[in-house]
Amino acid sequence: MIEFKNVSKVYNGGVKAIDNVNFKVENGEFVILIGPSGCGKTTLLRMVNQLEDISEGDIILNNTSVKQSNKIEMRRKIGYVIQSNGLFPNMTIEKNVMIVPDLLGWDRKKQQDRFNYLMELIGLHPDEYRKRYPHELSGGQQQRVGVARALAADPPVMLMDEPFGALDPIIRTKLQEEFLQIQKEVNKTILFVSHDIDEAVKMGDKVALLRGGKMMQYDYPSEILHHPANDFVSEFVGQDRVLKSTSLYSVKDLVDEVSLDSYHEADSAQPVNEDTSLRIVISKLLNQEADQLVVEDKQGNKKGKLTLELVEKFLHKEVKETPNR
Amino acid sequence: MMNKRISQIVKIAFWIIVIAFFAWTFANDLFRPIVEEFRTFTNLLIQHITIVLISGLLAIFLSIPLGIFVTREKFRKSEFWIVNIANLGQTIPSLAVLALAMGFLGIGIKAAIVALFIYSLLPILQNTIAGIQSVDENMKDAARGMGLTPAQILWQIELPNAASSIIAGIRTAIVINIGTAALAYLIGGGGLGAWIFTGIRLFDNSFLISGAVPVTLLAILIDYLFRLMQKLLVPKGLRLAEEAQKS
Amino acid sequence: MQTIIDFFNYFSNNYSQILEYTVEHVQLVGLAIIISILIGVPLGIYLTTNEDLAGTVLQISSIMMTIPSIALFGIMIPILSTIGQGIGFLPALIALVLYSQLPIIRNTYTGINNVDPNIRDAAKGLGMTTMQRLLKVEIPNAMPLIMAGIRTATVLNIGIGAIAAYIGAGGLGSLINQGISRSNNTMVLVGAVVVSILAILVDYLLKYIEKRFTPKGIKN
Ligand SMILES: Nc1ncnc2c1ncn2[C@@H]1O[C@H](COP(=O)(O)OP(=O)(O)O)[C@@H](O)[C@H]1O
Ligand SMILES: [Mg+2]
Repeated sequence: MIEFKNVSKVYNGGVKAIDNVNFKVENGEFVILIGPSGCGKTTLLRMVNQLEDISEGDIILNNTSVKQSNKIEMRRKIGYVIQSNGLFPNMTIEKNVMIVPDLLGWDRKKQQDRFNYLMELIGLHPDEYRKRYPHELSGGQQQRVGVARALAADPPVMLMDEPFGALDPIIRTKLQEEFLQIQKEVNKTILFVSHDIDEAVKMGDKVALLRGGKMMQYDYPSEILHHPANDFVSEFVGQDRVLKSTSLYSVKDLVDEVSLDSYHEADSAQPVNEDTSLRIVISKLLNQEADQLVVEDKQGNKKGKLTLELVEKFLHKEVKETPNR
Repeated sequence: MMNKRISQIVKIAFWIIVIAFFAWTFANDLFRPIVEEFRTFTNLLIQHITIVLISGLLAIFLSIPLGIFVTREKFRKSEFWIVNIANLGQTIPSLAVLALAMGFLGIGIKAAIVALFIYSLLPILQNTIAGIQSVDENMKDAARGMGLTPAQILWQIELPNAASSIIAGIRTAIVINIGTAALAYLIGGGGLGAWIFTGIRLFDNSFLISGAVPVTLLAILIDYLFRLMQKLLVPKGLRLAEEAQKS
Repeated sequence: MQTIIDFFNYFSNNYSQILEYTVEHVQLVGLAIIISILIGVPLGIYLTTNEDLAGTVLQISSIMMTIPSIALFGIMIPILSTIGQGIGFLPALIALVLYSQLPIIRNTYTGINNVDPNIRDAAKGLGMTTMQRLLKVEIPNAMPLIMAGIRTATVLNIGIGAIAAYIGAGGLGSLINQGISRSNNTMVLVGAVVVSILAILVDYLLKYIEKRFTPKGIKN
């Protein structure tokens, strides 16, 4: 658990980068720090692993104040990924990934097993990449290796500063999805900086929105989208915030809330399964080809008909009532 | 196609000149002193190399630690001054440095070694600082964030990444040293300069050539060896990084 | 202390002689640099159109640079004495010109090659001829680097010019030369200090000009 208690940061030049911030990240939670450029996201993140001093207040990491911890030991228990991957060009991929386990004195066999496991996890063939150097890899591959390196010593906590920010949109989306899969397996406590609201909504269990060093709202993505705390938040998430929220829900969420229309064999309708996101459903429905869809469960049983009206009804319900995911 | 042809012609012309030069020296028996006074020649050569080696090694052992020292966070302020002094020092002509050393320390090999030592400090120091400074801040930040100690960052990140630049500095220093050591004769330092200056004084071409050609070959050989070492010692990953940056 | 007093005494007693040597020194270096610019800059520009030749020329001139200056004199004297010019101004001038080539050619070549391809494309798009492009776009953009090369060459030449006194080319090296042979320490020190100051001053002066030559838009 990471707990921020009245944290403030004033830089030497007098810039107040963080202003009395309070929030908690529970174990296993994936929290996105977001806000406009210069709002203090990086500063806040770097105070956790003490790359920056805390001017006022404290950060409690697993029941210990980070100020009191031994910096070097603490950092080895925190995974750290930055935008410009920070891989060491003089070391092979294996050396790069295994640098912290090596510092911790793991034996050769344990390191090798861990390397193989991590490389499989990030989708790169261990033997193919073991002896390669960072500059022989593409940007996306380098960033994957950066993630593997941060995970190497199995730290309970990960700090990630716009890890996919420098990648082109297609690769970024791919890595986001891969990383969500990885998180399902490793279940870390993650603090993740982003400036992209779509990324935040898609990936975060919770979103912390900063502005000028102050916390604007800290809540579930659906709450941020449906119940922005103030004008700044609603402006930041954008006019299309309801549309954005549709990627948060799947067909199954809708089926749980509203009942589907009954389905007749005679109806012509494209099938969708229950895991499909509502965003895709809407897109399909707006597409000329089909004004209704038929929902199928995993066994292929047709459960009923889905129309735009039903989606609208569901969203109205969600926006008005307070959902708790 | 045409371009390649011109380049080849220039290359061939260069080698023809080199070969013609050596043919001419042999035809006129200009290497006679080396054969006739082989003892003296080896002594001068050894003297020459000794001066270069002692001053060079001293310079390496002082300037690399100094370069590391001034690039530490705490001493960043001194860095500006050191870099400027190193720049300034390198504009001073080598003959002047020798003359100054003699003015203060008198005639002899000691003054020569001191002069060469001071003169070779500067390029090594400059390149050590530049090499360490050029290490990407983000990379060091990542290293700190992963819990590497400052010493580990120095040995595993900064020095390997600065190695190419440091070796280049040593190469520059040693090659300049070989030339300056040829002037050391003037202040009583011995070395192959003895024959060159004797040749000038006596208008004796054979002494000129027997002194100048070995010094030249020594400089070119050492330069080549250091370039080779730069290639071999620099980690493969870094060479790839350099190439990636160029393209 | 005595050394310092001697130093200034010598300086004021031999003021005009020192000035004369300085003028000689500056003339030798100045002439060498002008010739070097006239050869090196056009050659550097031409090399940007011929990559193979660029590699060869840069390689040859970098070998040239590793030859110690006194050794080069030692090699040149016998060769030039076949035309009766073994010692004096000419061999010194030739050596200085040779040593200036690498910094000037390399910096001109790199400077012009480094001009942003987009800028070059834009100039082409505006319908400039190759010559116009060179004069209006490429050379101005490469100017800071070319000037830096000229500065390196000049400072280097002041040092080698001092050594050239030993082959009878005159200049400030003469003070050191005569001082050593007469065991006159003060004279040696004066020679060393004056030639050092000359090098440092010229370095600063050319750095200043370099800054003036940098188009406002590309200063960073
Ligand atoms: N080392 C520093 N010294 C002084 N001011 C800084 C430093 N680092 C960041 N700042 C300032 O602190 C504020 C927050 O910066 P940062 O945390 O990097 O923002 P973000 O990551 O959200 O873009 C900015 O105004 C920035 O200029
Ligand atoms: Mg940031």
